[in-house]
Amino acid sequence: MNRRAVVAIARKDIKSITANIQVWLPMLILPIVFSVLLPAVVVLSARASQGDTAQFMQVISGMLERLPESSLTRIISSFETDQQKVAYMMLNYFLSPFFLMIPLMAASTVSIDSFVGEKERGTFEGLLLTPVSMRSIFTAKVLAAFLPAIVVSLVSFVLFAICANVFTWPILGRISFPHINWAPLVLLVMPAISVFAILINVFISARVTTFQAGYQLGALLVLPLVAIMIGQFTGFMLLDTRVLLAVGIILSILDYVLLRIIVRKLDRAWLFESQVR
Amino acid sequence: MHQVRQVNSPGISRLPLLQGGVAVIRVEAVTKRYGEQKAVDGLSFQVADGEILGLIGPNGAGKTTTIRMLCGVVRPDAGRIMVGGYDPEEQGDKVRSAIGVLTETAALYPNLSGIENLRFFADLYGVDDPHRPDQLIDEFGLAEHKNKKVGKYSTGMKKRLGLAKALLHRPSILLLDEPTSGLDPAGIDMVLKEIARLSREKGVTVVLCSHVLHQLETVCRRYVVIKRGQALAQGTLSELAKSHPGPCVVEVETDYPLEIEKDSVFEGDAGGGIGFQAKRLPNALIQFTLPSRDEVPKLVRKLSQTARVYSVTLKGEDLQSVYFRLTEGANNE
Repeated sequence: MNRRAVVAIARKDIKSITANIQVWLPMLILPIVFSVLLPAVVVLSARASQGDTAQFMQVISGMLERLPESSLTRIISSFETDQQKVAYMMLNYFLSPFFLMIPLMAASTVSIDSFVGEKERGTFEGLLLTPVSMRSIFTAKVLAAFLPAIVVSLVSFVLFAICANVFTWPILGRISFPHINWAPLVLLVMPAISVFAILINVFISARVTTFQAGYQLGALLVLPLVAIMIGQFTGFMLLDTRVLLAVGIILSILDYVLLRIIVRKLDRAWLFESQVR
Repeated sequence: MHQVRQVNSPGISRLPLLQGGVAVIRVEAVTKRYGEQKAVDGLSFQVADGEILGLIGPNGAGKTTTIRMLCGVVRPDAGRIMVGGYDPEEQGDKVRSAIGVLTETAALYPNLSGIENLRFFADLYGVDDPHRPDQLIDEFGLAEHKNKKVGKYSTGMKKRLGLAKALLHRPSILLLDEPTSGLDPAGIDMVLKEIARLSREKGVTVVLCSHVLHQLETVCRRYVVIKRGQALAQGTLSELAKSHPGPCVVEVETDYPLEIEKDSVFEGDAGGGIGFQAKRLPNALIQFTLPSRDEVPKLVRKLSQTARVYSVTLKGEDLQSVYFRLTEGANNE
């Protein structure tokens, strides 16, 4: 592994993110929406649960009943008012799959740019003509997508935590976020899902010709998340600590397998002939 | 010097042997197909250490594919290639460490400045001298623009930066695809002189692809003419001219009173059995077409008896004329 080349390529790719509005704008908008607007909406809906919103409360109570006995349900039950229960439950429980969209989208956007972008800008040829091994180029590209994705996700998480606590303080009167459930989500699932998105996008990038096409195909990665959200809302699959740990471990295994396949299949001549005109 | 014609069936056994030099590049019966189309078809040639070889041919002849196979980024379907003692297919990174490549597009990063591009590639090529990128920026006259984004560079500036990039790691072999396209006359002169200097002083071996044949004449020692992926001929210019002789054309600047209209052809006899065709050109020039170059002194002597002769330029022996004879000959075959 050529460490100097890996650092140079990764640094160059990360720098190019700031130069391309197609890349950095979605990376900024989504975290702001999720970190600032979502907690605000949650607080507003919790406040709206006062008075004649009995139907809404019925739905929430039904979900609460379906949740298995856990520290989360115990904390929720300890609250006195419905308003408090709704606010705590929405923040700590329902928003977790939404939050996974941040590393997914960030990793996808940067990884598509770093492969398809090279082709679109006609620079891939120059990169493949250097004496840097395919393994080093690939490692640099994965790092260049992983680091910004993780930084954006962690910053979003901190921002989300601040906004959540500030907005719910008038209702709950204490620090209410995060619940322990978020530990496996942030420390295991977020990095694993970022790497997964990057590796899938590397596959896609090798087969599409434009950033738009890559981005559209990459967006399909959101579909499993949508399924998790539906599972979460219907109570079919509940993201408690054990489920999140399992999801994180399965994703990590998938990442490892994908990584092995890609590294074995990396062929300079094949990439050159398929990517360079 | 050797000269070999290789029409239609080149092979290892017919590969020209280099005289007085070690082959740094050997291409032996190489074929490359893209789908049904043969981009390179049994191509064989060698390049000696320190030699400047012109790889010439029309668009789509297979020049770029050949360069890419030499770099180990395109895999031949058949044949064997050795570059600097390495097989590009098996030891690609070693080959790419030894060569400097300038592609037609230069493949530079538009959102990085000129100096950032060179520093980036210096890291990739493992260049240890931290002053090397700045030194090349100065050498190629880009100091004023070094902090400007390459996306804002003119074609000529990009080409110069691309050449600087190719030289970063002081390669012993240079593969240059259209190194002068987009350059102004001063830029062309500078690039060609630099190529000649590198070969002369540093012993760098160069393969040059270009369509501007008269430029190649000033730097190349030998040529490989390819068409449809095959080598039509290879050798020095005089060897190519000898193997593909054409009528001898001379342009004479004279006040000889040739009574013919512009663009019409006069057929005459200069005496002593010298048959010729003559055509009046602008600026007191007359173009004579003679059966052979042996007739040139006789013609000049004859003209001098009745008129003043200011200059005589031999045409038809330059690379462009020989190239057209070669490629048109291949069309007729």
